[in-house]
Amino acid sequence: MFINRALQEISFKIVYYGPGLSGKTTNLEYIHRHLAPSMRSDLVTLNTREERTLYFDFMQLELGRIKGQKPRFNLYTVPGQVYYRFSRKIILKGVDGLVFVADSQRSRMGENLDSLLDLERNLIEMGFSLETFPWVIQYNKRDLRDVETIETMQAKLNFFGTAHFEAVAPNGTEVLSTLKTIITNVITKLELVA
Amino acid sequence: MDPAKEQNSQALVLSEDIYNGITELIQDLSASTGAKSVVFCESNGYAVTQVGTIKGLDLPAIASLAANNFSATARMADMLGEKSSFKYLYHEGDNINLYISNVGFDFILLVIFEVDVALGMVRIYTKKTINALAGLLQSASHKDAQAKQFLDAEFKNLLSEELNRSLNF
Repeated sequence: MFINRALQEISFKIVYYGPGLSGKTTNLEYIHRHLAPSMRSDLVTLNTREERTLYFDFMQLELGRIKGQKPRFNLYTVPGQVYYRFSRKIILKGVDGLVFVADSQRSRMGENLDSLLDLERNLIEMGFSLETFPWVIQYNKRDLRDVETIETMQAKLNFFGTAHFEAVAPNGTEVLSTLKTIITNVITKLELVA
Repeated sequence: MDPAKEQNSQALVLSEDIYNGITELIQDLSASTGAKSVVFCESNGYAVTQVGTIKGLDLPAIASLAANNFSATARMADMLGEKSSFKYLYHEGDNINLYISNVGFDFILLVIFEVDVALGMVRIYTKKTINALAGLLQSASHKDAQAKQFLDAEFKNLLSEELNRSLNF
């Protein structure tokens, strides 16, 4: 979180985490398309030649003034592939809230769990844990065939009982609810700390 | 908790006096070097302020890219056994050059200048500015107490309403 008292701006960092091809970039693309241009920055994507996220995607959401303050939310994705672990650590620096985007396909359960454990390891190195850090989980690709049941995904991935969403990111199903909830969770945590 | 962890978990607060001081210093740097633009941002990618003549610069995106660029090279420095991160990055283009320096642990300075401006001059004036900024920023604080004033239940309720309006719920 960064507070600029001269401009009365308060800025937060929200990171979308999850295995490769789970739909993190698609979440940001939908949010970017849905928002009025006056409320957002450009969507920056740093991709490989195969259109996979190489480093990160970024956009900023800016809201109207609240109690004199202008809230800004910097939204990032991380590259999901296992071998980009250092990039993920860099993107996590200074994070205020997390969205874990899981792939609902039955065949991807192993990758989901590996990515979640990778996230927890990185948070622990930063002095945090998923047990207390503001985060939500999004079960994406619910429109595909051969998806895992929500009950099973909850049992395998949501071991701290955080808010969860059943999403279809390309058409926006639950994308904005996910965003609103993580923002609210971040503020709630700060309110409790304060 | 080590300083990096501590700073990661708390708000960085920039006062009005410090902000005005930063703006003044980077205006001087811009004038001394003839830079097209000077951008000051926080090391997690938050844009703070910009001076110069480049119109329509997407400041949030530039700040995010510069900060992550700098963090990536800091990681490389660490892997190569450097005790601290590299002090600056220099990118040379056909028309525009970019000089990025860290200012202490928390901030980054970008100087964007045309190729006919001497790099040596940019380096000398930037170094002077960084020293002045470092002195000024000693009183920038990581204090949650500063956030307390407005981060309350009322703020959360108003934010929820604003999100509903902005996201068309």
